[in-house]
Amino acid sequence: MIWRYIAKHSLKILFLGVLCAVSVYVFVFLIAKGLYIPSVMSLIGAGFITYIFLSEKRYPIRWLIPGLLFLAVMVVYPIGYTLVSSFTNVGTGHMLSKDQAIDHLLDRSYTPDNAIAYTYTAFADTSGDLALILEGADQMILYVDGRATDIAWSDPRLVDEDSDGTTDRFGDYSRLTILQTVQRLSVIEDYRIEYKGTTIGLENLNEFRTRAPLYVYDEEAETMKDLQTGIVYTAREGIFTAPDGEEIYPGYKAGIGLRNFVKLVTNPQISGPFAKVFLWTFIYATLTVLLNFALGLFTAILLNDPFMRFRTIYRVLAMIPYALPAFITILVWRGMLNVHFGVINHMLVALFGSGAHIPWLQNAMWAKVSVLLVNLWLGYPYMMLISLGALQSIPASLYEAARVDGATWWQRFWKITLPLLLMPLAPLLIGAFAFNFNNFTLIYLLTEGGPAIAGASTPAGATDILISYTYNLAFAGEHGNQLGLAAAVSVMIFLIVATISAINFRMTGTLEELSKNV
Amino acid sequence: MYSRHTLLGSVWRHGIVLLLCVFSVFPALWIASASFNATNNMQLQQLIPPNPSLAHYRELFTSDRYQYATWLLNSLKISLLTSVFTVIMAGLGAYAFSRFRFKGRRVGLLGLLLIQMFPQMLAIVAIFLLILSLGDIFPWAGLNTHTGLLLVYLGGAMGFNTWLMKGYFDTIPRSLEESAKVDGATPFQAFYLIILPLARPILATIFVLSFITAYSELFIATILLRSNSQFTLAVGMNLLISNRYDNRWGMFAAGALIAAIPFLIVFIIAQRSLVSGLTRGSVKE
Amino acid sequence: MKKTIAVLLGVLMLTGLFLVANASEPGKLLIWADDTRAPIMLNVAKQFTEVYGVEVEVQEIESGETRGQLATAGPAGEGPDILIGAHDWLGELILNGLIEPIILEPATIAEFNPVAIDAFKWGNLLYGVPYATENVALIRNTDLVPEVPATFEELLTVAAALTDLEAGEYGFLIQEPDPYHTFALYSAGGGYVFGKDANGVLDPCDIGLDNAGSIAGATILDQMVKDGIEIAGAGYGEVTGAFNASNLGMMIGGPWTLSDIKANSINYGVSAIPPINGNAPGVFVGVQGFMISSFSENKVLANLFIKDFLISTDVMLGLYIEGDRPPAYLPALAFLAGNEDIQGFAAAAATAIPMPKIAEMASVWDAWIGALELIVNQEQDPATAMQEAADEIRALLGCE
Repeated sequence: MIWRYIAKHSLKILFLGVLCAVSVYVFVFLIAKGLYIPSVMSLIGAGFITYIFLSEKRYPIRWLIPGLLFLAVMVVYPIGYTLVSSFTNVGTGHMLSKDQAIDHLLDRSYTPDNAIAYTYTAFADTSGDLALILEGADQMILYVDGRATDIAWSDPRLVDEDSDGTTDRFGDYSRLTILQTVQRLSVIEDYRIEYKGTTIGLENLNEFRTRAPLYVYDEEAETMKDLQTGIVYTAREGIFTAPDGEEIYPGYKAGIGLRNFVKLVTNPQISGPFAKVFLWTFIYATLTVLLNFALGLFTAILLNDPFMRFRTIYRVLAMIPYALPAFITILVWRGMLNVHFGVINHMLVALFGSGAHIPWLQNAMWAKVSVLLVNLWLGYPYMMLISLGALQSIPASLYEAARVDGATWWQRFWKITLPLLLMPLAPLLIGAFAFNFNNFTLIYLLTEGGPAIAGASTPAGATDILISYTYNLAFAGEHGNQLGLAAAVSVMIFLIVATISAINFRMTGTLEELSKNV
Repeated sequence: MYSRHTLLGSVWRHGIVLLLCVFSVFPALWIASASFNATNNMQLQQLIPPNPSLAHYRELFTSDRYQYATWLLNSLKISLLTSVFTVIMAGLGAYAFSRFRFKGRRVGLLGLLLIQMFPQMLAIVAIFLLILSLGDIFPWAGLNTHTGLLLVYLGGAMGFNTWLMKGYFDTIPRSLEESAKVDGATPFQAFYLIILPLARPILATIFVLSFITAYSELFIATILLRSNSQFTLAVGMNLLISNRYDNRWGMFAAGALIAAIPFLIVFIIAQRSLVSGLTRGSVKE
Repeated sequence: MKKTIAVLLGVLMLTGLFLVANASEPGKLLIWADDTRAPIMLNVAKQFTEVYGVEVEVQEIESGETRGQLATAGPAGEGPDILIGAHDWLGELILNGLIEPIILEPATIAEFNPVAIDAFKWGNLLYGVPYATENVALIRNTDLVPEVPATFEELLTVAAALTDLEAGEYGFLIQEPDPYHTFALYSAGGGYVFGKDANGVLDPCDIGLDNAGSIAGATILDQMVKDGIEIAGAGYGEVTGAFNASNLGMMIGGPWTLSDIKANSINYGVSAIPPINGNAPGVFVGVQGFMISSFSENKVLANLFIKDFLISTDVMLGLYIEGDRPPAYLPALAFLAGNEDIQGFAAAAATAIPMPKIAEMASVWDAWIGALELIVNQEQDPATAMQEAADEIRALLGCE
C-alpha cells in the first residue's frame, strides 16, 4: 500500500526527501560553525515546507513556496539584520564582534627590553608535523608538539648527514628548505613558544623574537590591562576605556538599546530640517508618480492603437530611457543641465537670447524642477510598459458596448479605462511612490542633495530627500560611518513610508477589493 | 476602443508621439556622440563629434582589462535566468492569490507590498554574509558565483510582480477553469494549459521588467563578484568611471549603447504580446 | 502516517549523499587590487610563485569598495592578505582594527620619500608601504599662456584677459565645489583643516576652516567669481573638457588629467601654484600604498611578498606607468628625473600637506562643499559661509 502511494507521489517525495536531507546537512554544518540561529531557522524552514506539502488544507500555499522561500531568505532576513543592527553601535571603530576585538588586542605585543632574537631551522616528519630548532645568543631551543625544551649542540638526534655544517635531520624529522619553510609560514607564524617565562613568536622569515603581549584580559571583570603602562581599561559600550577616558581601538559591536532612535528624534541636526526635508520628499514622490503615470498612460494609450502605424518603432524608441543604465543617463542629464556648459542652456540662449540661462542645478526651485524632469524621463517608460500590459486586460466588448450607448472617448476613458486600470495598477503606483520616496540614487547622482541652503546649520541641500540627508549624516558623524544609526534611519523611513502607503491603500480601496473577493 | 484615424487625427497623434520620442532619445544621442568621440569628453557641445572614430568600440572588444564581451554574456545569462524564474514563481504565487481563498491571503498580499518598501541600502552587508556562508556549504553558490547572484535576485521575484499578475488574472473569468475542472483537470493543469496562454501580455510585461532590473543591477553584483571574468555588464562598466578623476567616458558610452541592444531585442519580442483587443472569446460571456 | 513514513525513508536515503567533508586551504596569499593595479600584481604574483611555490590570487575590488568590504569580509575570514589603498584611510582602518603595522629596516625606509612614509605612519608605527604620491599643481596650456605667472595676482590678470564667457573661453578655472582643488587658496594664508596638538597629533576639535587664512582664501575665490573668471557649474568634466578643447588657459589639476591632455594634443606645462600674497600655497598630498590585513593568516608571508618583491625599482616603475602618479620609491623617482611633469608636480608639492587621515575627516567634506557652493553661487559672503561650515563640523564632531 505504501509503495503505491510512493509511486504515485514519487516526485513530491523525492523533492521533500532531498529538502530534508539538505536541511539536516545544513543544520549540522551551521551548528559546527557556531551559527546557532541560522541553523535552527533552516530546520524550521524545511519543516514548514514539508508540512505545507503534506497538508491538504494548506494546498494553496504550495504555490507560494518557491517565491516565499527566496523572499524570506533574501529580503526578510536582511531586513531582520538591519533591524538588529539598529539597536547596536556598529560603525567605524565598532565593526568587530567582542571576541574578535579581544583577540586582536591580545595579539598585540611589544618588544621587551631584554628581547632575544633567534634564528631557526624548520624540520618536518613524514606525517607533516613540524619541529623547530631555535638558536639564540646562548641557547638552543627545541619546539615540537607544542612544547619548548632546551637542546644541546651535541644532542644525538641532530644529524649532519653530508658533513657540511648544517643539521639535516632531527630524529625522524628532516630539514625543510627555504621554499618549504615559506610554504609553511602561515602555520609557523601562529606558534607562541613559551620558554622560561618568555613568549617567542615569528618576527619575519628569518628569525623569531621574544615578545611580550601588550594586554592581558580579565574575563570576569571585563578589563584589559596594558602591561607596559599598567593602565586598566574597562569594557564600556563596545570599547575599552581608561579611567581618564582614553580608548583603545578597535572597539566592538555592542547593543545600545534605543539610543540610535533617540538620537534620531532629539538630534537638532536631524530634527531641525526634518519637517522641510520631509515635506519636499513627500511632494516630490507624489508629483513624480502622478506625472510619470500621466505621461506613461497617455503614451500607452496612443501606442496601443492598432491603427497607429510604426507602433513598434515608437514603443522601442520610448523604451530607450529604460534600456540605458541610470547611472550614465543621470550623469548625462547633469551635464546637459549645466548652467554654462550644458546643451539645454545653449539651445535656450540660441532661441531666446543671452538672458535665457536657467540655473538648473544652482537654484533651489529649478533644481527641484530638474529632479522632477529627469525622473519623468527615467520613469515614464516603466509606466508605459505596465499600462500597456494592464490595458490588455480590458475586454474590447466593454468599449463597444459603451460606443453603442453613445459615450465620447473622454467618457470611455474616465468611466472604463481608468477605473479598470487602477485596479491592478494602484498597488504599483503606491509602490512607485515608496520607491521614489527612497530614491537615493537619483538625488545623489543628479544634485547630490544640493544646492546648498544658506544660513542652515546643517548640511541639508535644497533637493535632499529624507533618506539621502539622514544617510549622509550617519556616514559623516563623529568617527565616520555610523552603520547602527543608518540602520535606525532605515527603520524610521520604513515606518513613515509604510504608514503613508497604508493610508493610500485605505483611500484607493485596494484593501476593499481584497475583502470583496474573500 | 479605437477607430480609424482621420488625417488630422493621424497628424496630431504622430506629432505628439514623435515629440515624446525626441524627448526620450535625445540624451541617448549625446551618449552616442560621446562614444564616437576619440577623446574622453562627456561635456560635449556638439552633437556630431569633430573626428568621429570607432576607437572606443574597438577597444571594448580587444581590451584585456575590460572584457566587455564576457561581461555582456554574463549579464545576458543572469538576466534571462532571473526573468524566466521570476515569471514562473510570481505566476504561481499570483494564481494562488487570485484563485484560492486561504488563511493568510490578505495579510500575505499586504505584507508583500510593504516588505518592498524597506530601504535596502544596508541589506548589502547581510546579503554578503549570507552568500558567504552559503558558499561554505555549497561552494558553487557562494561569493563570486553567478548562482549566488541569481539566488539573491530571485528574492525579488514575488512582490510587485505578483500584484501585477494577480490583478490581471482577476480579470480572467473563472468559468474557464470551472469547465476544465468538470473535465477532470487539476488546478495546476488549469493554470498551465488555460490561464497561462491567456495571460501572455502580463507574462511578457513581467519578463521585461525583471530582465531590465537584473540587467542593470549594480550594488549587489559589485559586492558578490570578485574576478573580472565573472563581472556583469553593470559592474564592469562601473569600473570605467569609478575613479573620481580618471574616467573613460568614451568606452563607457560605447558600452552603454551596445548594452542597450539586448534589452531592446527582448522588449521587441515581448511587446508583440502586448496586443490590443485580444479577445478571450473561448467562452461566451 | 503513510506519508510521514514515506518522507522519512527518503530523508534517510539521501542524507548520506550530503556528508561531504570540506577541504582546507593551504597557505596562499590573497591580494585585493582595483582593475588598474591588478595586472601588475598578477605579474609580481607570478614571480613570487615561481620562487617560492606559494599560490597568489589577485581579486579585483573597486577602490571605493575596499574599506567597506574589508570591514565585512576581513572578520568573516574572507578578506585579503594584502590590500592597496590611500593613506587617508588609515584612521578608519586602524579604528576598525583591520590593518597591521609593517616593520621595515631603517635602510629600506630611507629609500622612500619621507612625506610618503610619514603619511602611512600612525603614532610610531608604519602601517603601509607607499608606492605613489599625488597632488595637484598648476597645469597651463602653453600656447595660450606661454610663461608661468610669477604671482597669483598676475595669474588672475592673465586669466581675465583670456576669459570671454560668451565665446566659451576661459582663462583659469578651479573645479568646484571641490575642497581638494581649492585648498591651495586656503593654505597660502595659513588656513588648515585640523590643527596639531602638543604631541604633533591631529586634533579634531581644532578646526581652522574659519580662521583668517581660510577666510582670505575663500574671499579670493569669491572675488574670482565676481570678476567673471570662475563660474558655477564647473566640475571636473567641464574643466578638463574645456582645457582639452583649448578653451581654457590654466587649471589646477593632478596627474590623472595628463593622459587625456596628451590624447588631445594640447601643449601643456606643469608647475607649482604661484605664491598668493607672497605665500607659497600648500596642496593636499595623497599617498597610495600596500597594507596588510590584520585578519590575514599569512602575515609573515605577506611581509615577505611586499619587502622582497614589491619594493623594487621595476615594480615601482611599473606602477607608475599604469597610474601616472610620481613614485614614492626614490630610486624609481630618480629614474624619472628628466620627466618634466613629475618635476612640476614635485615642485607643487614642495609645501605639501598630507590629507588628514583621522576618521573625523569624513565629517568635513559635506559642510565645506556646501560653503564653496554658496560662495560660487554668490548666495553668501565667504566669511559667513566658512564660519557656518566650521560650526557645522564642530557640531557634527561634538566639539564644544
